[in-house]
Amino acid sequence: MNASRSPIRILASASAAPIIRRELNRRNFLALAGALGVTGALAACSPGGGETPSTEATGGPLEKELSIYTWGDYDNPDVLSAFTDELGPRITLDSFNSNEELISKLVAAKGTSGYDIVVPTGVFIPQMIENGLLQKLNRDLIPNLEHMDADYLGRAWDPNNDYSICKAWGTTGFVYDKTKITRELKTWNDFIDAAQNEASGSTSVLDDPAELTGLYFWANGIDWNTTDQGDLDAAEDFLVNTLAPHVSAFDSYPGGAAIPQGTHALMQVWNGDARIGILESPDPDRWQWVLGAPATEIWMDNWAIAAGAPNPEAAHAFIDYVLTPENQLLQVDYIGYHTGAKGIESAAEDAGLPMLDLVFFSSEQVATMHEGEVTEAQQRIVEIWNKMKAAAGA
Amino acid sequence: MRRAPGIALAIPAWAWLLIFFVAPVGMVIWFSFGYKPGIFGTHANDVLSFDRYAEAMSPTFFATFQNTLWVGIAGTLLCLLIGLPAAYWMAVKAPPSRRGLLLALVMVPFWTNFLVRTIGWQVILAPEGWASTLLQSIGMLNGPLDILYTRTAVLIGVVYNYLPLMILPLFVAFDRVGHSLREASKDLGAGRWSTFFRVTLPLARPGVIAGVLLVFIPLMGDYITATVLGGAKGNMVGQLVASQFQTAQNWALGSAMAVLLILVIMATVAAGAVLVWLVTWPLRARQRLVLDTKEAVR
Amino acid sequence: MTIEATQSATATPPESGTDASGAVVLEGLVKRYSGVVAVDGLSLRIEPGEFISLLGPSGCGKTTTLRMIAGFEQPDEGDIRISGRSVLGQPPYRRNVNTVFQAYALFPHMSVAENVAYGLQQHRTPRSELRERVASALELVKMRSFADRKPMQLSGGQQQRVALARALVNRPSVLLLDEPLGALDRQLREEMQLELKLLQAKLGITFVFVTHDQGEALSMSDRIAIMREGRIEQLADASTIYGRPASAYVAAFVGQQNFLRGTVADGGLAVTTPSGVVLRAGETALVGHTEGQAAVRPESVSIERADAAATRGERGSVNAASGTLLSISHQGETMQYLVEIGEATSLIVRRPTPTAPQLSAGDPVLCTWAAENVQLFPLDDAPEDAGYVPPPTA
Repeated sequence: MNASRSPIRILASASAAPIIRRELNRRNFLALAGALGVTGALAACSPGGGETPSTEATGGPLEKELSIYTWGDYDNPDVLSAFTDELGPRITLDSFNSNEELISKLVAAKGTSGYDIVVPTGVFIPQMIENGLLQKLNRDLIPNLEHMDADYLGRAWDPNNDYSICKAWGTTGFVYDKTKITRELKTWNDFIDAAQNEASGSTSVLDDPAELTGLYFWANGIDWNTTDQGDLDAAEDFLVNTLAPHVSAFDSYPGGAAIPQGTHALMQVWNGDARIGILESPDPDRWQWVLGAPATEIWMDNWAIAAGAPNPEAAHAFIDYVLTPENQLLQVDYIGYHTGAKGIESAAEDAGLPMLDLVFFSSEQVATMHEGEVTEAQQRIVEIWNKMKAAAGA
Repeated sequence: MRRAPGIALAIPAWAWLLIFFVAPVGMVIWFSFGYKPGIFGTHANDVLSFDRYAEAMSPTFFATFQNTLWVGIAGTLLCLLIGLPAAYWMAVKAPPSRRGLLLALVMVPFWTNFLVRTIGWQVILAPEGWASTLLQSIGMLNGPLDILYTRTAVLIGVVYNYLPLMILPLFVAFDRVGHSLREASKDLGAGRWSTFFRVTLPLARPGVIAGVLLVFIPLMGDYITATVLGGAKGNMVGQLVASQFQTAQNWALGSAMAVLLILVIMATVAAGAVLVWLVTWPLRARQRLVLDTKEAVR
Repeated sequence: MTIEATQSATATPPESGTDASGAVVLEGLVKRYSGVVAVDGLSLRIEPGEFISLLGPSGCGKTTTLRMIAGFEQPDEGDIRISGRSVLGQPPYRRNVNTVFQAYALFPHMSVAENVAYGLQQHRTPRSELRERVASALELVKMRSFADRKPMQLSGGQQQRVALARALVNRPSVLLLDEPLGALDRQLREEMQLELKLLQAKLGITFVFVTHDQGEALSMSDRIAIMREGRIEQLADASTIYGRPASAYVAAFVGQQNFLRGTVADGGLAVTTPSGVVLRAGETALVGHTEGQAAVRPESVSIERADAAATRGERGSVNAASGTLLSISHQGETMQYLVEIGEATSLIVRRPTPTAPQLSAGDPVLCTWAAENVQLFPLDDAPEDAGYVPPPTA
C-alpha cells in the first residue's frame, strides 16, 4: 500500500495529472466559480439563522446514506469504501474550493443543504457556530476520540470540541533549490535575503493575503494577527517596495508544478505541498525544505456536522471510523498532512512513509506555529496583497 | 390579440435575462454605493456614497488595470490575426467535406476544463518542461526555456484558450458570404486581396465584431489564464474583484471595481470602434460614389 | 440603331474572324469532376458580336463551359481563346470578359452606383470618367434613378438590370450570362428577353447565354448550341434547330413533338407504325435501318372530323392517321387535341385558336400532315434523354 503510492508520484511523465488535481483542490486559490456565484448568500449570515431543526444522533441504527462536503481529494478512497463495506451507508462526496463557498452554501440552504459532514478550517468555526450552521457533536458516539492527541484538541475556536474535531493540520515554510542557493537558509529573514539576492526574479510566494503579511510579521517577531496600523504600514512598505520587485509568481501550489519542473529557486510553500513537490521531482535531493522560523502559522481543518444533517447517525459513525489508528495512518499516507492522532508519527515511520519530516514536527517547532484570525485588518491585508501583486507585475 | 402568441415565445428569454443578467448587474451597481459594515459583514447600503469608487481608483487598481488592458487588447489582436486567415481558409479554401472535421478540431480544446488546459501549458512551458527539453535537444536553445511567467506565456495561453471563440463566428461569417460574390468580384477585375478587403471582409464584419467581443470581454474578466502562465506578470483586475468578494469579504468595494471594469470594457470597445472607423475613413471615402439621382429624372 | 438590331437578329452571324476582338474559340475542352466528365471534348467558335446560347437540360455541361470561359474553372484538356489569345491559366480578373450571374451576385453592402463602379475602380479609372460611365451604364438599363439604393431595396428585375450594368460598364469584349432570367416571373422575363436582345444589338458585344429555357434561346439567339452530356449536339440558328433538328434529342428538347416508332419503308423515306400509320418524310433519312422513329410537331398536324374528310375523299393512308378524339384543352393562343390513333398510341395536335375546328371528345377524326414536317431518326437515338414523355392514351 505505502510502496504502491510513492513510485507513482516520482514518475515525472505522469506529473501533469497530480499537479492538476492539486491545483484544482485544496484551499481557495483560483476561485473558479467566479466572484459573484461563489460567495452567494453569505450576506444572510445574520442573527436569526440560529434555529435549526434538531436531528440529534442518539446511537440508533445507521442511515443508508452519508453525504460529505469537503476539500477536493482530501480523504483516502480506501477508507471511504471500507466504511461503506463494513457499516453500510453509501457515501456521496462533494467538494468546495474555499471556506466562503462552504459557508455560503450552508447559509443559503438554511439547514436543508443535505450535507452531513463538512470540513471547515478552524478560524471560520466561530462564525459558523454563531450562525447556526453546525450541530453539536454527540461525543458518546465518537469513542475513538481517545486516539486523538490532546495537543490538537480544544483549540481556541472550539475549546471543548463541542462542534469540531481536528481532521488535518499544516504549516508554512519554504523550499529552495540547492543548486542555485548554495548557502544554508534557516529563517524567514534568510528567505527574504535570498529572494533579494541569488533568487531574485526566481522567487514565488503564496497567493494568499495573510501568508504575505505573515511572512513579514513572522520574520520580525510581530504577532501576525496584529491590527496595529504601524505594523501594517511597515508590512506594506516592505512587501510592496522591497520584496515585490523580486517576486516572479504568486503560487499557492508550487508542489504541483514549480518544484517538479524546477521553475523557481525559492518558494514559500505549505508543508504537505512541499512534500508532494519534492517527491515528484526527478531530482529530490536538489530541494531543501525549511520550516518558517522564528515563527510561522498553523492551520487546521476540522470534522464537523452540518445543522440539519439528514444522516446524523452515519455522520457520527464515520467520524468515529476515521479516527481509528489504522484509518488515520491511511489518511496520512494519502493526504500527506498530520491528522492530529496520537502516535501517528511512529506509526507512519513504521510503515516506512517517505519524508515524514515534512509531515510531523517536534513540540518545540509546533510551539512556534500560530493560528490566524479573521480581524478588522482583513480588508487592509487584502489591499496590501493587491498592491504587492500590482507592484510585482509592473 | 393575434400577436400574443409571438410575444409569449420571447417570455422565457426575457425572464432569463432579467433574472440572470439584469438583476445581478443591478445588485452589483447597488452594492457599489454601499460600504462594508464590520468584520463579518459583507455590505450595507443604509448610507450611500461614491466613496467605494474613489477607493477603487487607487494607483494599485490603475497599475493592474493597465496590465489587464494590455493582455486584453494584445490577446484579442493576436487571436484576430491568427483566427482571420484560419477561419477564411476553413470556410473558403478547405474542401467542404472536411469542414465538419476542421470545426470539430477547433473545438477540441473546449472538451477539457478551462483551468486544466491552462495548467497543461504551465507544465509544457516550464524551464524543465518538455518544450524546453525539446528545444534544447534539437539545439534551438542554449539553456532552459525562460518563458513561463512572462507576457509571452500569457499570450500563448490566451490564444490557445480564446482562439476558438474567434474562429467560430468568423467561420460562420465567411461561410455566409458565399463564393458567388467572390466570383463576381474577380469577374469584375479584382484580385484576391482586393476581393478580400472590399467584398469578403466587409460582409464578414458582423462575424469579426462578434469574434472580437467574444474574445475581448471574457478575456478582460479572466485572471486564470494570466495568473497561471504569467505569474506576477499576469496580475488582472478580475482577481482584484474576486479578492474583494472572497477574501476581504468587501462586496461594496468589489462591486465598485466590477462596475469600473464594465465601464472600461465598454469604453475600450467604443474607442476601438471609433479608431477603426477613423482609420478606414479615407478608404471608404475613396470608394463611396453618390450619383445625383435627380439629374436622371427628366 | 434599329437597322443594326435587325441585322444582327438575322440567322447569319456578322463577319467572322476568330482572332477579332470578341471572338471566343473553344477547342476540345474537357472538364472532369472527381472522375465524372462534365464537359467532354467540346469545340465551338463564337463569332465577334454574336449572340449565342448554350441550351440543354441541367447537367449537360453548359454552365461548366461558361465558367471555364469566365475563368472560374480551368479545363483539364483543350484550349480557350478570347479575342485571339489563349486565356488558359489566366484568373478571371485578367480576362476581358464579364459575367451576369444567375442570382445576380450584387454586393449587398454597396449601393447600386458602387456596385456598378466596382469593376472600374479595380482598373483605376479616373474619378470623373468613372462617374460618367457609371451614370451612362445605369441609364442604359434604366436604373439611373436608383443609383443610391442598396440592392436589397430593389425588385428582382431591377437587380437584374443592375447586374447587367455592372458587367457592361467594363466594356467587355464578351459578356457571359448564366441563366440571368431564371429568377424572374414570366412576364418580366419576356420583357427582359427583348431588352437584352436590343442591348446586344446596340453594343455589338459577344453574348454567351446559358439557359435551359428553349423559348429564351430561340427568341434571342443568333445561334444555339444544344448541349448533351458535355458535348454539342447541334449548333445552328433557331429555325434550323426547330425545323431541322439534327437528332431526336434536339427534336425532343426544342418545342413539342410526337414520336412514332415503326419499321422503315420506302428505302428509308418512311416509317410505318404497328397500327399501319405511314409517316413519309420529304427526303430519305434512314438508309440501312430496318426500324426507326418519326417526329411530327403538334402544330404541323391538321385535324378534322372523319366524315368531313371522307366527303372530301381524304382517307388515312400516307401522312394521315384516323383515330378517336380523347380530349381537347384550351391553351390560349392554341387549342390542343389528344387523339388516339392506334393501340396505346396517341398524337398531340395543336391548332391556332381562331382556326381550330369545333370538335368534341369521342369524335372520330382524321389527322394529316405534310411530308416536309416529318423528321426521321434511327431508333437508338432516344428522345427520352431530352425529357420526351409520350402523350397519354385512353
